[in-house]
Amino acid sequence: MHKARSSKIRTVAAHAILIAYTAIALFPVVLIVVNSFKTRQAIFRSPLSLPDSETFSLIGYQTVFAQGNFAHYFQSSLIVTMASLFLVLLFGAMAAFALAEYRFRANALMGLYLAIGIMIPIRLGTVAILEMMVASRLVNTLAALVLVYTAQGLPLAIFILSEFMKQVSDDLKNAGRIDGFSEYTIFFRLVLPLVRPAMATVAVFTMIPIWNDLWFPLILAPAEATKTITLGAQVFIGQFVTNWNAVLSTLSLAVVPVLVLYLIFSRQLIRGITSGAVK
Amino acid sequence: MGSLKLENVCMSFGRVNVLDDIDLEVQDGEFVIFVGPSGCGKSTLLRIIAGLEDPTSGCVRIDGDDVTLTPPAERGVAMVFQSYALYPHLTVRGNMGIGLKQAGLPQDEIREHVAEASRMLSLDEYLDRRPAELSGGQRQRVAIGRAIVRKPKLFLFDEPLSNLDAALRVHTRLEIARLHRELKATIIYVTHDQVEAMTLGDRIVVLNEGRIEQIGTPMELYRNPVNLFVAGFVGSPQMNFIDAARVGYPDADKIGIRPEHISVDPGKGDWEGTVVHAEHLGPDTMLYLQSDQAGLVTVRLFGEQYFKTGQTLYMTPQPERLFRFDAKGAVLGRVPEAA
Amino acid sequence: MARRSSRKRPIRWHIGVFLAPATVIYTAVMILPLLGTLHLALFREVDREQVFVGLDNFSTLLGDPRWSASFWNAFRNNIWFFVIHMLVQNPVGILLAAVLSSPRLRLRTFYRTAIFVPTILSFVIVGFTWKLILSPLWGIAPYFLDFVGLKSLFAPWLGKEQYALTTLSLISVWQFVGIPMMLIYAALLSIPDGVLEAAEIDGITGMSQFWRIKLPLILPSIGIISILTFIGNFNAFDLVYTSQGAMAAPNFSTDILGTFLYRTFFGFQLQLGDPHMGAAIASMMFLIILSGVCFYLVAVQRRLVRYQF
Repeated sequence: MHKARSSKIRTVAAHAILIAYTAIALFPVVLIVVNSFKTRQAIFRSPLSLPDSETFSLIGYQTVFAQGNFAHYFQSSLIVTMASLFLVLLFGAMAAFALAEYRFRANALMGLYLAIGIMIPIRLGTVAILEMMVASRLVNTLAALVLVYTAQGLPLAIFILSEFMKQVSDDLKNAGRIDGFSEYTIFFRLVLPLVRPAMATVAVFTMIPIWNDLWFPLILAPAEATKTITLGAQVFIGQFVTNWNAVLSTLSLAVVPVLVLYLIFSRQLIRGITSGAVK
Repeated sequence: MGSLKLENVCMSFGRVNVLDDIDLEVQDGEFVIFVGPSGCGKSTLLRIIAGLEDPTSGCVRIDGDDVTLTPPAERGVAMVFQSYALYPHLTVRGNMGIGLKQAGLPQDEIREHVAEASRMLSLDEYLDRRPAELSGGQRQRVAIGRAIVRKPKLFLFDEPLSNLDAALRVHTRLEIARLHRELKATIIYVTHDQVEAMTLGDRIVVLNEGRIEQIGTPMELYRNPVNLFVAGFVGSPQMNFIDAARVGYPDADKIGIRPEHISVDPGKGDWEGTVVHAEHLGPDTMLYLQSDQAGLVTVRLFGEQYFKTGQTLYMTPQPERLFRFDAKGAVLGRVPEAA
Repeated sequence: MARRSSRKRPIRWHIGVFLAPATVIYTAVMILPLLGTLHLALFREVDREQVFVGLDNFSTLLGDPRWSASFWNAFRNNIWFFVIHMLVQNPVGILLAAVLSSPRLRLRTFYRTAIFVPTILSFVIVGFTWKLILSPLWGIAPYFLDFVGLKSLFAPWLGKEQYALTTLSLISVWQFVGIPMMLIYAALLSIPDGVLEAAEIDGITGMSQFWRIKLPLILPSIGIISILTFIGNFNAFDLVYTSQGAMAAPNFSTDILGTFLYRTFFGFQLQLGDPHMGAAIASMMFLIILSGVCFYLVAVQRRLVRYQF
């Protein structure tokens, strides 16, 4: 759009608003990370300054690595997130393809049934989920978390992916059928590669809540061996409430991996949101 | 070999009848066009022949075998799609060869088939490119190549030219005609473009609202349409339809006369009219005349001819080209035959 | 070449194969437990045996003075939590989106990415970070208030009964404002240039263009954001739990349904955990969210016209 009279004042005002809010959004995160590299005195005396040679200290990180089991927590989180993500994407895409591609009697009903989970949070089933996990001896295993997160991620994944799969050219799939592809080959070889961007979007949407979840690790897998990083950080901070160095370091350690992942995938995520995937 | 027979093919989605009792026989080597307005069922019929859609009832026979429930890949058909439908992740070579690979042909045989098709369509220099690196016309040739490689009994074309620009369309039309001559293949071709239909087809099947209105050679349809729909659909500009009673044919409901079968004269003629508008196309001139008797009439004149808007002209239809239709739209026979 | 003369249509097994894994996991781990929770709410443990008690648990929850006081407290707090979100998150989100979508803005991607950062952080990080920032011990918040000459306004907000819930709600808004911003930004981008150019020519510019042209066109997005916020808010737990503890300090003033459910189910201090009452609370939450969604689908969404461009 051509704005003939796009005034300077307007541009300045726009930037002022955005810079102000960006500061509000980033300040707390920056504050935590910066102070985690300082000595205890410096944290309190001059919380807003960067660490210099005098105030620089890794004491917090040393405490965390000496006392906490963070490498292990991190590994648990990674396993749970990756496994759930894989299952959500695979099973979600398969179901989405069935709903988008085939006319069959229960199609609409099936779509509606699978969409209930978008509206009703799985957390409300916790009481019964715990009973079930106890009965099947899955409490304090990562498998319990993977199962729950897969179920939690599927409805939205199916919903978004089937929208995208409807856009894949019918002609292409039909060309495959005439060339003798099975329905499975058509799905895996033709359709999946074409919806890769949508898969990436769904992956980010699915991943963030799983990585950040506190509720289910707390209830289903609170044992030391299966603690996720989110739960680990929560428990650890609870124990070291007065050790500011340790607390700030723990928070920084918990922020950084997510932040890095976010920066890698942010284009994908933002494109996903703005392309109207969430409607 | 490649003959096709459709017996009582019906198709309905819910309560909507998309195809109603279609019977058709296509001989080996014939080029048959399905033409009709959008939504007439021509594409659905093609998809039923391909096996992409199951008919609600009826039977599809290829070379005499009932293939109604045979999967598409086992029918020996090849299809060229409107959107080309090339596999985006494969090269031109891969696109053309994949059907044969899927059928389990040995490597060198596949290479031979691909090379032959590529030579025919002059695709040799593009064999290692991917579809995204090709122009629209090249993609279309690859799509045709993919069909040729399979050496099918039946070629199915689904509006293959509608995504091309006008110049390329003419070129590809000639190409398809040449391929038909060289391969002597049986071709079923769906289009809504009547120039394609008239120029390519040995026979044309005119479909409307899920029924076959008429089957015939292009000139049969032009000269002897069986009803109002076919008369109006074939030929451009459209045939003029005039209230029969107002121009003196009391035994018919409407009469029809093509614009090119009317002559005009400033002095005398059957119907008086005034020039409303003239379109100069170069080779032809289209005149639109408003007549008290006949309503708005289109007249097609050869060459460059100039008339003033508002000028009075007299129109005379060629009597042997005049059609009479009854109230249901069926042709009652030409005027001179009745006279 | 296979030739089948039988007229029987082959069963399309692949549809089942495609649908089965997702449906099985979803049904087993989500739908059945949800139904199981509703079922569990109808029982009570008497002498180590499950006894069917009908709606007794619900009448306890709503009738017993102690239970009902806790329930209604959590419910009221939850509504306030939601109201703050609606009042702050949506206007701020709309403002940011509107500014962000202004034409030929530089650094657009940077702003977008930065403002979305808090949304990806876990509640644990957010809760503790703000707890530290607002802590009178560290003094970051008073320092900033001093900067604008308002130091006297400072109070340990998270520790005061009258402020704690509102403060928590604002922290949650801080975390999630990226989502409404993005969705509205997308909606604004999808308004065709032609429409806006026509408005320019008709003399509808600046603010009035926003109110008269853009806002009506993004109303459906605001509707969706509102219902998503509603679901999220009535299901919230983590933020309160990490920053205020399971007891929703101070003095239950930040207790919402999620923390109430957690306490009831797992027990706290001297009271033992009670899965049946927990299930009853979860069922109530289920009911509240369901009625919210139904209200949205029936009353709101049907009135919001979605314009096709």
